[in-house]
Amino acid sequence: MAFEPKPMLPGDTFDAARRFAEASALKLARLHEPAARAAELATQWAAVLELGWAGTLVPEACGGADGTLLDLAALAEGAGSAGLALPLAATCAVAPTLLAGQDALLADLVAGRLQPCIVLDGLTAEAGRLSGRAVGVETPPAPSHALVATGEALYLLDLAGIGFARHERIDGRLTLDLEVQGAPATLLRPDAGEVIRRARDLGALLTCVEAVAAMGTLIQQTIGYLLARQQFGAALASFQALRHRVAEMYVAYRNLTGLVQAALAEPSWQNIAFAKLRLGEAGRFVAEQAIQVHGGMGMTEELPASHLARRVLMAEFEYGDRHTQAARLLAA
Amino acid sequence: MDDTAELAAFRAEVRDFALTHCPPEIRAVVAANGKLGRKHWAPWQRILHAHGWGAPSWPREYGGTGWDQRRRHIFDEVLAECDCPPQYHHGLRHIGPVLIEFGTAAQKARFLPGILNGEDWWCQGYSEPGAGSDLASLKTRAVRDGDDYVVNGQKLWTSHAQEADWMYTLVRTNTEVKRQEGITMLLIPLSTPGIRVREVRTIDSWHHVNEVFLEDVRVPAANRIGEENKGWTYGKFLLDRERLGGANVAPAFRFLERCRELVARQLAGPANALKREQLEYRLLLAEAELRGARELGKAAVDAVMAGRPLGLMPSELKLSTADTVQRIGAIALDAVGERVATRFRPVDGSGPNAEVEDIEWVQNFMYLRAKTIFGGSNEVQKNVVAKQLFGM
Ligand SMILES: Cc1cc2nc3c(=O)[nH]c(=O)nc-3n(C[C@H](O)[C@H](O)[C@H](O)COP(=O)(O)OP(=O)(O)OC[C@H]3O[C@@H](n4cnc5c(N)ncnc54)[C@H](O)[C@@H]3O)c2cc1C
Repeated sequence: MAFEPKPMLPGDTFDAARRFAEASALKLARLHEPAARAAELATQWAAVLELGWAGTLVPEACGGADGTLLDLAALAEGAGSAGLALPLAATCAVAPTLLAGQDALLADLVAGRLQPCIVLDGLTAEAGRLSGRAVGVETPPAPSHALVATGEALYLLDLAGIGFARHERIDGRLTLDLEVQGAPATLLRPDAGEVIRRARDLGALLTCVEAVAAMGTLIQQTIGYLLARQQFGAALASFQALRHRVAEMYVAYRNLTGLVQAALAEPSWQNIAFAKLRLGEAGRFVAEQAIQVHGGMGMTEELPASHLARRVLMAEFEYGDRHTQAARLLAA
Repeated sequence: MDDTAELAAFRAEVRDFALTHCPPEIRAVVAANGKLGRKHWAPWQRILHAHGWGAPSWPREYGGTGWDQRRRHIFDEVLAECDCPPQYHHGLRHIGPVLIEFGTAAQKARFLPGILNGEDWWCQGYSEPGAGSDLASLKTRAVRDGDDYVVNGQKLWTSHAQEADWMYTLVRTNTEVKRQEGITMLLIPLSTPGIRVREVRTIDSWHHVNEVFLEDVRVPAANRIGEENKGWTYGKFLLDRERLGGANVAPAFRFLERCRELVARQLAGPANALKREQLEYRLLLAEAELRGARELGKAAVDAVMAGRPLGLMPSELKLSTADTVQRIGAIALDAVGERVATRFRPVDGSGPNAEVEDIEWVQNFMYLRAKTIFGGSNEVQKNVVAKQLFGM
C-alpha cells in the first residue's frame, strides 16, 4: 500500500472540507480564461459563506459558531489538502481577530454583507484618510471593503467607487492592487497593534496548516506518478535516486507537521514563527522536488501536483516569509 | 496542584537534583563539549539510580520511574540544560530493553542491576569489516561445544570496547539457511581469553572506536539471548531503540545554544556583521528543524509507552536530527575554523589534541560526520522510508 497522508485533525470537519476542496479544484482546473476562473471562484466562495465557514471563530451572538482554533484548523487542513483557491485564513481567521468586539461588523462578516480583503502593509493614515499602495492583496471574488492596518490603528475602507487592478497569484487565488490618495475611512480602533500582530500570526498559522496538508497530498501524488511512470523498462519508483528524494520530501513534511502541531497546541508567536520559517525551507524543497521528479509533466499547468506545488510555494509569502520570521526571532 | 504547577514543581525538583548531585567536574566536561566516556557516564548513572531515576525509559517493575512522556521530556531537557551527561549508554538504552523483552529471569537478575547502577559497562559488537550497512552478512562464527559457544571472527567500529566489561554481539550460528535466520545474539565478557581490542583512531583525533578480534573465545550458552538463530529479531529490536535515541533532542538544543554563544562571542563587532548574521540565520533554521523533531520524538515516546508499533518513527527521527546536528557543527566550524583548524594538532607530539581554545568545535564537527553513518546510515534509513512509502 502506497503512502496516504494522515491528517493532524481528522474528523467530519476535515472530511467535509476536503471533499468540498477536491470538487472545487476539479472544476477550476478545467477553466483557463481569467474571467471564467474568477466567476467559478465566486460560485465557490458563495458556497463557503453559505456553509458558514467565515463564522467559525465568531461568537454565537453574532451569528457565528463560536468554534475553536482547532475547528478552524481542521477546515483549513481539509481545504489545504486539495489546494482550495479561496481566502480562508484571511476571512475566517484574520478578519474576525481584527474585528473582535465589533459585534455588528462580525455579524456582517458571517452573513457575507462584509467581504473584506485584508491590507496589513503599504497604507498610511492621516486625519482619517488613507494613502499609499498595497499590491497583491489576497481578496474574496467580490470585496466590499478593505480592513486596513496602519501601524497601530485599524481602519475600514469601503471599496465602493475605488478602482483597483485584479490579478491571479501563482496558486490561482485572486488578488488586488490598491492605490489610494486621501481616501476617507472609518477608524475602528486606534490602539490595535496587539490585535494586528495576533491576527497576522493566526493568518500565518492557518497558512502553515493549509500548506502542510497540501504537501501531504503533493507527496502522495508524486509517489503515485513514480509508481505509474515507466522508463528504462521499469517504474521510476524503482530508482533509488528518486526513492531517496521522496524519502527526504517525506521527512521534511513530517518535521514541519511536528512544528505545526506544536503551534496549534500552543499558538505563541514564537511557535508560529518557527513553523512559518520552516515552511519556507521545507515547503520550497518539497515543491521543487515534486516538480523535478515529475519531469516535463511537472512543468505543465494542468497537472494537479503542479497546482499543489505552486500553492506550497505561495504559502511562504503569506503573512511574512522566512526572512521576516527570522528577523523577528533574532530580534526577540 | 494543577497539571502545569505539578510539572513546574517537577522541573524544579530535577534541576535542583542535577545541580546539587551531578559532580561539577563531570558537568564541566559536558559544558566544554568534551569527549564523554565511562568515567563520566557511570558515576552519574550510579547517582541517578540511587535516587530512583536510573531508568526513565524502562518499565516500572524493572526500575523505571513510571513518568509519562511529558515528565520524561522535562527530565531530559533539564539534565541537558544543567550540562549533565545525556543518560544514554549501551547498557541502559540498548541491551537493557532487549533483556527486559527477551531475557531469561536469570539473565535479568544477573545483568539489569549492573546496568542500573552503572557498574557494568557495555559495548555493541555488530559491525564487521565485511558487514556494515548489510549487517546480515556478518561472518563472526559461533560453534556450539558442550555448554559453551566457541567464537571466532572480528568486529569493527566497536565504540567503548576499550573501557567496557561486556559486549553484546551478533554471531553466525548457521551458514546453511537464509542469512538473517542463522544469527544469534551473545553477551560476551571482554575479559574472556582470546579477545583482543585494538584502537582505531577517528578523524576527530579522539579514541571512540575499536577493532575487536575474537579467537576461540568460549562463551557460556547461558549468555545467549533468546533462541539460537533468532538473533536478527533481537538485534533489530535493539536498533529501533537505538534510533529512538534521536527522540531526546534536548542535548541537541543545548549544543545549539552553545554554538549560538560561540557565534556571538567569536563574531562580535561590525566587521563580522555579515558572517554573524548568516550564521545566526542558519542556527535559526536548525532550531526550527530541531523543534519539529522534538514533536516527532514526543510522539515516538508516546507510542513506545502505549506499546503501539513504531512504524517509520525511528527512521523519521534519525533523518530529522542527524544532519541537523551536523549542520550546527558546521556553523561552529564556520565560526572558528579560520582561527583553529590550522592548529589541530601540535607536530611535536605533545598529546593527541592541541590545547587551543575552541579546538573542540573542530573535533565535534569531524565526529558529527558519524551521525549519518552509524546506527544505520541515512541512505539506509531512506531505503527503509521509501520502501514503506512506495509499498515496494
Ligand atoms: C563513530 C562510529 C561509531 C560506531 N559504533 C559502532 C558500534 O559501537 N558498534 C557497531 O556494531 N558498529 C558501530 N559503528 C559502525 C556503523 O554502524 C557502520 O559504520 C554503519 O553501519 C555503516 O557501515 P559501513 O561503515 O560498513 O559502511 P558501508 O555499508 O560500506 O556504506 C558506505 C556508504 O554506502 C552507503 N550505502 C550502503 N548501502 C547502501 C544502499 N543499499 N543504498 C544506498 N547507499 C548505501 C552508506 O550509506 C555509506 O554512505 C560505528 C561507526 C562509527 C563511524
